[in-house]
Amino acid sequence: MMTTALIASAPAVYARESWAEIVKSARMPQFIIPTIALPPAFYALFALAMGQGSAEGATRALATFGVFAVMGPALFGFGANIAAERESGQLELKRLSPMPAGAQITAKLAATAAFSMVAFVLLYGLGLAGGVSLSAAQWAMLVGVHTLAIIPFALIGLGIGYRLGQKGAIAVANIVFLAMAVLGGLWMPIAMLPDAMQAIAWALPSYHLGEMALMAAGQREAANLWLHAAPLALITLAAAVFAWTGEKAQAR
Amino acid sequence: MSLNANAPLAALYEVSKAYAGRPVLDGFDFALEAGSVTALLGPNGAGKSTVAGLVTGRLAPDHGQVRLFGSDPRTPLARARMGIMLQAGGLPETLTVAEAVDLHAGYFARRLPTAAVLEQAGLAALADRRCDRLSGGEARKVQFALAIAGSPDLLVLDEPTTGFDPEARRAMWHVVRVKAEGGAAVLLATHHMDEAEALADRIVVIADGRIIADGAPAAIKAKVAATAIRLRTRLAADRFRAAPGVVKVETVGADLSLLTTAPRATLEAAFAIDPALQHFEVTGASLEDALANLVQSNRTAALKEAA
Repeated sequence: MMTTALIASAPAVYARESWAEIVKSARMPQFIIPTIALPPAFYALFALAMGQGSAEGATRALATFGVFAVMGPALFGFGANIAAERESGQLELKRLSPMPAGAQITAKLAATAAFSMVAFVLLYGLGLAGGVSLSAAQWAMLVGVHTLAIIPFALIGLGIGYRLGQKGAIAVANIVFLAMAVLGGLWMPIAMLPDAMQAIAWALPSYHLGEMALMAAGQREAANLWLHAAPLALITLAAAVFAWTGEKAQAR
Repeated sequence: MSLNANAPLAALYEVSKAYAGRPVLDGFDFALEAGSVTALLGPNGAGKSTVAGLVTGRLAPDHGQVRLFGSDPRTPLARARMGIMLQAGGLPETLTVAEAVDLHAGYFARRLPTAAVLEQAGLAALADRRCDRLSGGEARKVQFALAIAGSPDLLVLDEPTTGFDPEARRAMWHVVRVKAEGGAAVLLATHHMDEAEALADRIVVIADGRIIADGAPAAIKAKVAATAIRLRTRLAADRFRAAPGVVKVETVGADLSLLTTAPRATLEAAFAIDPALQHFEVTGASLEDALANLVQSNRTAALKEAA
């Protein structure tokens, strides 16, 4: 029938859109360098060079820096890029095309995952060189937690990108990025922060993901998993609502 | 699909649309036929983009009905048969022209080969140029390429030749004509009379959300055609306002400019009013001026009606 002759194959569109998204970002050095190179560079500087060669310190920092590495691609890839595409009218043209509605988000997720993976590989390589020694099961769980981290941060980025212009989205993403890293205990344990600031950590996905990554790497008592998994699930749900309402608000 | 053979390809029925409480269209009826170019002509803010947005489903009507290919325009099937060039359309900055066209064409099952699209849009030489390194006119050509990439049955172009040099404009017009001759319906929103005249089979003049003229380009041109007479006189402008044929009197520096539909009668009357009249100059008014005048007289008439 005519119907089948008019609609392009959806899997092919998803694949091409994802590849285009990766190529688009890969050609932006101002995106690539801070999002991919910064986490391994910080890890090498703070955890390895200043950690006096302690394998335990290197392992702990690897767990939390893996969560940190996801935040750049997720917050900026979704937040700032979606805002720019919306402002310039690209999103509108895609919406008026027969492109399947999910292709855009899937492509952005694929790009975030791809750039996060590159940062992971660099981080894990540095960790191994710095004396990190984990069992295969621990590595698998750590990679799992780090990959899981993409979802809440991507949703937060999406909610920002749908609500603000490009400049506003970059500014807000930067604030969120730094607050999540510092107050979530990704750079240093929150125990080093004042009590009032420590309380904020409970509302941050970065804190719970960091703690779960530490459990995966055998640095925390895993019996407390639900204490972090449950708040994380709630925060992710709230982030999904934040993204969803943002999408609805900008569709006329 | 249950498409009635007599039904128009696209139609608005009694459509009303308001922005922030300000009505743009009110009870608007409009239809498009396959195989022809229809130009929506009117000043900025007349409602052209709103009509185009409603036809493509970019905007939803507040009241009334929009049909495209016999169904709602917001269906994947309708979108698969439509090619759109929006007034403001960004491009993926870091992709090349060929990559951007190929990506967009891939959304359509009836896509044209990328090389053919680039050729038709006059972009063959720019295929490997990144989109953020294009001039305004070149970027506009890429947006045109995206619009034609899926072999659409309906091509909607909103101010397509902004930033074009005359040669590039004529080249694009030629491609649009070819698409219409190939059976596509083309909806062109423009405020350039010459563009509408060169391209369209039918011109619909809209002002303040209403159709004030609808017909073949020659008929529209005759309706808006006028002559400007420039006079040097010491008399007040008001003295000439009642002269036969005069539709508008303007002061231009030390001179008066009379816009008239009956130049001979106007000139004779002008000599009668001011026998000392020495300098005068008669020129064909530009079509843009004439169009503006048509819109203006329509507004005046509407005001009188309301009073």
